[in-house]
Amino acid sequence: MINRYKLDSILMKVEKPARYIGMEQNVIIKDLEKTKVKFAFSFPDVYEVGMSHLGMHILYNLINNVEEYACERVFAPWVDMEDEIRNADLPLFTLENKEEVRNFDFLGFTLQYEMSYTNIINILDLSKIPVFSADRDEHHPLVIAGGPCAYNPEPLWEFIDLFVIGEGEEVTLELMDLYSKHKDGSYSREQFLIDAAMNIQGVYVPRFYDVSYNEDSTIENRKPLIDGIPEVIEKRMIRNLDTMFSPEKMLVPYMETIHDRISMELFRGCTHGCRFCQAGMIYRPIREKSVDRLLELAEKLVESTGYENISLSSLSSCDYSQLHLLISSLMDRFEDKKVGISLPSLRLDSVSIDILKEIEKVRKTGLTFAPEAGSQRLRDVINKGVDEEDLVNAVSYAFKEGWSKIKLYFMIGLPTETDDDVVGIKRLAYLVKDLFFNRPKEEKIGNFSVTASASCFVPKPFTPFQWHGQDTIEEFNRKIRLVRGEIKDNKVSFNYHDPRVSYLEAIVARGDRKVSQLLYRAWKNGCKFDGWSEHFKYDTYLNTLKEVGLDGTFYANRARNFEENLPWDFINPGPNKQYLINEYTKALKGETTRDCRLGCTGCGIKDCAMWGVFN
Amino acid sequence: MIIRVRFTKLGYLKYLSHLDLVRLFTRSFSRSNVPVKYSEGFNPHPRFSIGNPLSLGIESQSEYMDVEMSEEIAPNEFMIMMNRVLPKDIQIIHADIIDDKESLSSIIKWSHYEIYLWIEDTKKRQEIKENLDRFTSLDQVMIKKKKKKGKRKIHVDVDIVPLIGNVTFKGEDQDGYVIITALLRSGESGNLKPIELVTALEDKTNSGINLEMTRIKRLDAFAETEGNIYRPL
Repeated sequence: MINRYKLDSILMKVEKPARYIGMEQNVIIKDLEKTKVKFAFSFPDVYEVGMSHLGMHILYNLINNVEEYACERVFAPWVDMEDEIRNADLPLFTLENKEEVRNFDFLGFTLQYEMSYTNIINILDLSKIPVFSADRDEHHPLVIAGGPCAYNPEPLWEFIDLFVIGEGEEVTLELMDLYSKHKDGSYSREQFLIDAAMNIQGVYVPRFYDVSYNEDSTIENRKPLIDGIPEVIEKRMIRNLDTMFSPEKMLVPYMETIHDRISMELFRGCTHGCRFCQAGMIYRPIREKSVDRLLELAEKLVESTGYENISLSSLSSCDYSQLHLLISSLMDRFEDKKVGISLPSLRLDSVSIDILKEIEKVRKTGLTFAPEAGSQRLRDVINKGVDEEDLVNAVSYAFKEGWSKIKLYFMIGLPTETDDDVVGIKRLAYLVKDLFFNRPKEEKIGNFSVTASASCFVPKPFTPFQWHGQDTIEEFNRKIRLVRGEIKDNKVSFNYHDPRVSYLEAIVARGDRKVSQLLYRAWKNGCKFDGWSEHFKYDTYLNTLKEVGLDGTFYANRARNFEENLPWDFINPGPNKQYLINEYTKALKGETTRDCRLGCTGCGIKDCAMWGVFN
Repeated sequence: MIIRVRFTKLGYLKYLSHLDLVRLFTRSFSRSNVPVKYSEGFNPHPRFSIGNPLSLGIESQSEYMDVEMSEEIAPNEFMIMMNRVLPKDIQIIHADIIDDKESLSSIIKWSHYEIYLWIEDTKKRQEIKENLDRFTSLDQVMIKKKKKKGKRKIHVDVDIVPLIGNVTFKGEDQDGYVIITALLRSGESGNLKPIELVTALEDKTNSGINLEMTRIKRLDAFAETEGNIYRPL
């Protein structure tokens, strides 16, 4: 345990000290002397961001449910706290026992966003754990990582001892069990890693593989250095969501966090097949929880947390096959407890709005829709199965029901995009405005505004667009100016993401092993909290790219051909490469692919659970 | 029916802001199923008010809160139901029905603090009692207090002597902290923060106090009407 007096005098000086104290409702504080395996779970961002992540609540309770295992949390200290603990020479500690992270058996990171990677290096350093895997020995925790971004683990290969690919509920415990067994004998870190790499599906230990490069810097070959470890890493996937571990408790923070409510997962996977969406590919196939199970969980979660809102979170929650039944049952059950229901994402149809009308009886705040692209042609290219008529119907209906603030989400830089598509963003925003003001006077309820937000498209691994070269920063800026110049109405506003951040995100997301040096040197040069605009240091990154001799455009902007050996090609996420190639080819021709609930589209996933459910 | 309670705020939970505390009670009322009255309107919230909010980082043995109930409930039952869901460092230690309509914040005039001073220098530590006496016998102690004037922040000079009820030397604890207690004006009609007192003490007497290491605990709060000083509960 760290020095409490030191901690106390530090906490008096930092902003929001409640970030660092733990002690929340439903916290689990075990006697670490009596636990066999200690797992420090880290979300590499500040407390209030990390605490809003459902995966953390799942793994926290999953591990702590095993009597002899303990899971404690550690987040990235905000910059003021970092200065204080560095000055006081206090190693980074977990929230539960205020125990030094370096005394744990595992330090596990969840990889949700590439721009949090420098925070991972910083957390290792603040914990006084060597940042490079090669420098660690039996005295240090095993540093592991998982989550969606682990599908391209290579940019972190030097820092992480072991990656788990896919869903973590089963594999985390398998790893801890295996470790526990190794601890009973004469423990060797190397032997444990070999055993895990050989015998646990979904485990990737980067240092057991060698990568060679072609003259043009693309990857020539990748081969295992140890006999018996797999050449292709198969992702982990939970087959039955009803019988898998689902938390009945959630930690309830004292301070305000991003999502101050119960988060309940309805299903995993998504059948729409939007071609830009990584989650839609890697979480296949779709698997639902049953209404009975969800009601049971809801009851327990409301009881244990006291939260007054349940968010039904999934990739496209309105797709849940029993949504009406679920919502009416939830509303019946919790009517007198004042528990509200919310849906984080909405489809552009009146069914969605009908449900919304039912659940948001009192407050009609803003509504958000995601047409993603400004023209029908481009929406077909990305296979976003909505058209203008859907938007018109949904928005008209929303206005009729009393909503007056609309947000529209778009991406710019999508494959085949023309200036006309880009200007389509303005056209859609104006269309929404006209739909409001063309209503009869007595039906113009509220203070109207429409906001169009554009993000800069980052082509992600394991999507049909993985071969697409990202627009350059100049091109993004030109397109942004194009839209901005067209919008001249104070009821219509236009926001956009910083293209420089998206450029770096693309370099890392599409990066190979060489990118790890970029991350390391960038961190050395002071980069952290890169996802926070006030901390993002673009010039430092540009200089660091030069310093390590890497060409950012090679990773971000270069279009790749189908023959190229991509840095992440050794992972099998389910859908096969040929399917992604077919989808990309169809995209370029503007051909759509149906929702695979309506019939299999042949993505190649083995034993697709959909067969039993929907066909 | 209004129930007035006395509760603690101890240990690490001293780092909860006033807003965090309000959120904690809001959730706890709902979890404990006590019949709290809710406000009308689009966004109903439980009707309760906490007397003079504690600064972040100060522990307390006695905080006060008034809670409006929608139906009759025995204060003891209320306390038991609430304590079941409250964290161990924030517990209700006394509850009673009150009749008077005056709000806590309007009646609370004094706060009683226990203050732990860290004085590294042994010689200076021995002199603290005399320094305290010297300090409390001063006729006037001017400090600069931050005030908000509209949106601007300004500094005003204030004599704090009328804001001090008493200051007493108590001794030393086993870690070497010097313990004093202080009764200070608290609330809307005059307020002195304990750290302002310690800062002034150090300014005037040069006692070698490490301000950063100062630890503070509120022991109690007092109401005052027509010269009578009494506990709100």
